[in-house]
Amino acid sequence: MVDKEQGSCCCTEEASEEQLLARLDEVIADYKDKPGALIPVLQLAQAIFGYLPENVLRKISLGLDKSYSEVAGVVGFYSFFSTQPRGKHIIRVCLGTACYVRGGKQVLDAIKDRLGVDVGETTPDRTFSLDVARCFGACGLAPAIMIDDDVHQRVKAARLQQILDQYIDQDQATAASA
Amino acid sequence: MSTIHSHVLVCAGAGCVASGAHDVSDALQEALRKHNLNTEVDLIHTGCLGPCAIGPVAVVYPDGIFYQGIKPEDAEEIVSEHLLKGRPVERLNFKMPATAQIIPALQEIGFFQQQQKIVLRNCGVIDPTVIDEYIARDGYQALAKALTEMTPEQVTDCVKNSGLRGRGGAGFLTGLKWEFTRKAQGDKKYVLCNADEGDPGAFMDRSVLEGDPHSVIEAMIIAGYAIGADQGYVYVRAEYPLAVERLENALQQAREMGLLGTNIMGTDFSFDLEIRMGSGAFVCGEETALMRSIEGKRGEPRPRPPFPANAGLWEKPTLLNNVETYANIPVIITNGAEWFAAIGSEKSKGTKVFALAGAVNNTGLVEVPIGMPLGEIVYDIGGGIPGGKAFKAAQIGGPSGGCIPRQYLNVSVDYESLQELGAIMGSGGLIVMDEDTCMVDMSRFFLDFVQDESCGKCVPCRVGTKRMLEIVDRICKGQGEEGDVEKLLSLGQQIKDTALCGLGQTAPNPVLSAIRHFRDEFDIHIREKRCPAGVCPDLVRAPCMSACPANVYVPGFVSLIGEKRYAEALRVHRDSNPFASVCARVCFHTCEDKCRRATLDDSVSIRGIKRFMVDQEVTIQLPEMRENEANAKRKIAVIGAGPAGLTCAYFLARLGYQPKVFEASPRPGGMLVQTIPAYRMPREELAREIRMIERMGVEIETEKALGKDFTLQQLRDEGYEAVFLGVGAPLGAKLPIANEDADGVHDAIEFLREYNLRGNATVGKKVVVIGGGNSAIDAARTAVRLGAESVTVLYRRTRDEMPAYKEEIEEAENEGVILKTLVAPQEIVVENGKAVGVRCDHMWLGDFDKSGRRRPQAREDGDSFVESADQIIAAIGQSLDTNKVLDNVPAKLNLSGYVAADPLYGQTSVDWLFAGGDASDGPSSVAEAIGAGERAAVGIDKHLTGEEHAFWREEYDVDTEFDPDADPVEAPRAKMKMLPAERRAHNFNEVELAFTESVAVREARRCLRCDYCAEPAEETASR
Amino acid sequence: MTKISSPKDLAALREQAREAIALRSGPREIVVTVHMGTCGIAAGARDVLATLAETLEQEGVKNVTLRQSGCAGLCEREPMITLADKAGKEYRYGKLNKERIQTLVQEHVVKGNPVMDYLVSN
Repeated sequence: MVDKEQGSCCCTEEASEEQLLARLDEVIADYKDKPGALIPVLQLAQAIFGYLPENVLRKISLGLDKSYSEVAGVVGFYSFFSTQPRGKHIIRVCLGTACYVRGGKQVLDAIKDRLGVDVGETTPDRTFSLDVARCFGACGLAPAIMIDDDVHQRVKAARLQQILDQYIDQDQATAASA
Repeated sequence: MSTIHSHVLVCAGAGCVASGAHDVSDALQEALRKHNLNTEVDLIHTGCLGPCAIGPVAVVYPDGIFYQGIKPEDAEEIVSEHLLKGRPVERLNFKMPATAQIIPALQEIGFFQQQQKIVLRNCGVIDPTVIDEYIARDGYQALAKALTEMTPEQVTDCVKNSGLRGRGGAGFLTGLKWEFTRKAQGDKKYVLCNADEGDPGAFMDRSVLEGDPHSVIEAMIIAGYAIGADQGYVYVRAEYPLAVERLENALQQAREMGLLGTNIMGTDFSFDLEIRMGSGAFVCGEETALMRSIEGKRGEPRPRPPFPANAGLWEKPTLLNNVETYANIPVIITNGAEWFAAIGSEKSKGTKVFALAGAVNNTGLVEVPIGMPLGEIVYDIGGGIPGGKAFKAAQIGGPSGGCIPRQYLNVSVDYESLQELGAIMGSGGLIVMDEDTCMVDMSRFFLDFVQDESCGKCVPCRVGTKRMLEIVDRICKGQGEEGDVEKLLSLGQQIKDTALCGLGQTAPNPVLSAIRHFRDEFDIHIREKRCPAGVCPDLVRAPCMSACPANVYVPGFVSLIGEKRYAEALRVHRDSNPFASVCARVCFHTCEDKCRRATLDDSVSIRGIKRFMVDQEVTIQLPEMRENEANAKRKIAVIGAGPAGLTCAYFLARLGYQPKVFEASPRPGGMLVQTIPAYRMPREELAREIRMIERMGVEIETEKALGKDFTLQQLRDEGYEAVFLGVGAPLGAKLPIANEDADGVHDAIEFLREYNLRGNATVGKKVVVIGGGNSAIDAARTAVRLGAESVTVLYRRTRDEMPAYKEEIEEAENEGVILKTLVAPQEIVVENGKAVGVRCDHMWLGDFDKSGRRRPQAREDGDSFVESADQIIAAIGQSLDTNKVLDNVPAKLNLSGYVAADPLYGQTSVDWLFAGGDASDGPSSVAEAIGAGERAAVGIDKHLTGEEHAFWREEYDVDTEFDPDADPVEAPRAKMKMLPAERRAHNFNEVELAFTESVAVREARRCLRCDYCAEPAEETASR
Repeated sequence: MTKISSPKDLAALREQAREAIALRSGPREIVVTVHMGTCGIAAGARDVLATLAETLEQEGVKNVTLRQSGCAGLCEREPMITLADKAGKEYRYGKLNKERIQTLVQEHVVKGNPVMDYLVSN
């Protein structure tokens, strides 16, 4: 692979809650005066914390001078936001038309089977969360799944473990080098 | 440097290797060495070149000469003549239909050749991360031109005059939108780009953002200049991380170069852009919802007007276009409105990008001038349907669109034409569906989608689609009721009329369009509780079973063979289909086409297993019969002792009736004995199964012809309470050309019947058969066996379109039959009152006809030619003289001119008269005739007793071993062996050789047991 | 990065960029473009790029320019590359893997023989 950047990661161990909150403060300060800042801030906050716990939402509501109910309403509307802790890796199974026609549903069933979780749930070890998606435009490669930002093409139930292993191995490698 | 000047590509596909490609290759190598050409000519083994049937094949480049049917001894001639002297060997030379040619240069590949790239002009060409590459290809020149040479009005007019219409959905004139926004009052205006490409199946916007992000940026700056805005947003869906990354990078570069920001290119125009990412809400593709989302709110749509041009983002005048629309703008400004307006159709200018996906060979993005016929997109660019399956429909426009069935393959793909058919251009998702797609299931998919993605703000969309989904769900589960379709139609109309936003109003479209074009499929689900495509799980026990017209419990008998329980297996088969031995030989196994094992390696050879099974039978066993004294007294007549009539009699006998069968010819069996040749259907095998039916109490009286020896009315007068009409379609159609009645012209049915019933038929020396169906091939192969010196089949389309079964065509060629396609007979040439040949025109395939096949048209440049012959056999169709058969009994006819019968019970419009098989369906398969016979037997019983007693229809499981958790063992499909061509071409011995026991048992164990599910399903339910 | 402060600057930069590209893909050069859209990457285009670089290195080939671009449209055959040869003739290869790339480099790049088997054709 060409781009291996895990080594350059600045955080050698899990950042503390305070450090994370400090980062959120920076984000809020950056966006405070921009129009329509709420959604970008929520997106960045979710990237920082992995999900959107209540204290984070309260902080955002204060920082952007929006009512808590407005913030919660927006979070509830968009399927990408989660108020529950999510797994390290988000698996999205495409159920768009092309993937549906080519067996996306069977792939979803196989993943549910293998991880032992249903859609919207997270594995007990917090490694994977499972979601469905409606088309990420990889229709030529159906059925497709997306893990974090990587699209995997022509997924077959038989090849699933191999794909998941990549992420598990990657995590272990990161942990080992840390 | 290499001195290679020619390449010889020898096909090393499985088909060619099987027919000896390796030997040919060795011989070529040897010959090259002999002529010292091995350093100048490269011998290359390629993958399958396509025309396996005429293998081994090879192509010589650079001339692209195609050789077929090469034998090792031809190698010397190819090398010494063609490669050494440059003279192609005509004897072996074959002009390929354009589709199967291998062409090395990119520019000449059909997929790319027929496209016209405007939107995708840079995609796949430039490095999207380097702005210099965009600039080198005239990037930002349009912006320079607009800013320094044009006024905002001129820019707007240019876009308007180009005729560009919005590529995101409804196709509103882009220039008009620009003008409205430009003229709107306001101190602050915005330019937005909709890159929330949410329609499943569309991904052209992603591709443009990833492959050519600057084209969108440039267009948005131009738009800002035109309408007077200084700020813009690109709203990209979160599912496109790479697009965001590349766009971000491109914005950065443009800013650094002074192409974005303040005082662009030294002018006093300033404009900046920001990216906003979506958060997974489909409704945000709708413009008012999208603007709310940028504002940081819940992305709920609001009613229009006011339109965004007047009150959009933060209530300011806002211009919103999608990615593809913007990508057109720079080229329009650079080349001018007239240039753009010259492309496309009258009302729809320019090109459209389609995302081809689904059941099509070349999935991907294609850009074509608007107005190209759908068929050309699917076949010429898309490369057609994989696996030789049939095109069923194309879904265009995603959840707001609809489907276009095959009778409209000629439709010009433009905004208006699609709308007339109930689809929309939408964002350009084009999903091809083959015969394996169930339209009811597709409707359920789209309803599920819109139901899931409905933002919930308005009731019609939230509740209406839910109600529709419930109904379609029921239909898929086999719980549909009469009136459901009407309910769907009226609910759909209500939602269309009352939903708040564009997405809601169009949400019912996929269902309404499916009902419009495939109403019968809904009806079959509702009335017959059957899913013809074999998709809906509750209606399909196993796909092979639902594909079998006679509904044979395939996994049942196959798994019994796997345990060597042959007698039980036969019993299972004959429970639904008495003609096990007949079908083992002549059935064209639609079951195998749907076999799920094919997704793993290859389908199970169901017919091969069946053939082995019937060979194990020593004495024929009678099936379960229920004696019934009352039934035995009722008089039932069955007319025609073909597969439909005899099956009907068989099932009636199982219910205790004793029907009488009348047969016009001297021998029972119908087409099985009259036209299907003995090399495919040994006569003794047929006679055995007919004897079984006779032993069940069925009387068959031969040489008793309806319309000649008796009439339907006479049967009624004699006290027959019900009559089954299974007389087939016994007349051959006449050629519609001059001299069709000349001496030496015969019709195929007559020719076959004469030979098969009388044991002899006159055959010429040079025989020409006209037609491409099974009778044509049967007649040709029979003529070979009767001693014709040459037999040529003439067909007006290509081999792919021939209705005859592929394997039959291949076998005919192996036996020496010559196939000439794309030729159409114009007249019979006559000398001294005798036919001496057929004058033919060369044809080419033009547009698409109603059957979804290309229409053959005479080539203007092509001279006609005469195919000389002393016997001409026409096999162009069959018919039934219904007047003669019905003789004033007022049974209605169907659209094809055959006797109309109810699909469930075979009842005609006259309540005592039932019909089935070819007499009702027109020429169709043996298995279909058997299925129709069974249904009519059930119908007759119901008519006479008021109830159904079809005990054989009750579902049961066989008690064979099966471990559902075990992984299927990899094993290739077993192939039936054939007698070698030289040992079969001159006699009527059966040509196919049965499996051995070990092969048959192993093959049977390849079955994945799709029927096995009842127990595990309960188990999961109780968990 | 140079700032463009007039259409003239833009025109000059265009000429410059064209020259740079022409120099790179001049008459004596081979240009290999790896198509790297989402589909290509999902199908393994990054590995293709890496393998290409590696193989060219191993074979000691110096006259090849490697570049990337967006999706070429034919997702079915991804990962794909386009090879423009010395004469400017373009060949598009699809469904690539390590083995195929090595063959391609040895056959087409080094010896000048297009590999028919891997060509994207209908």
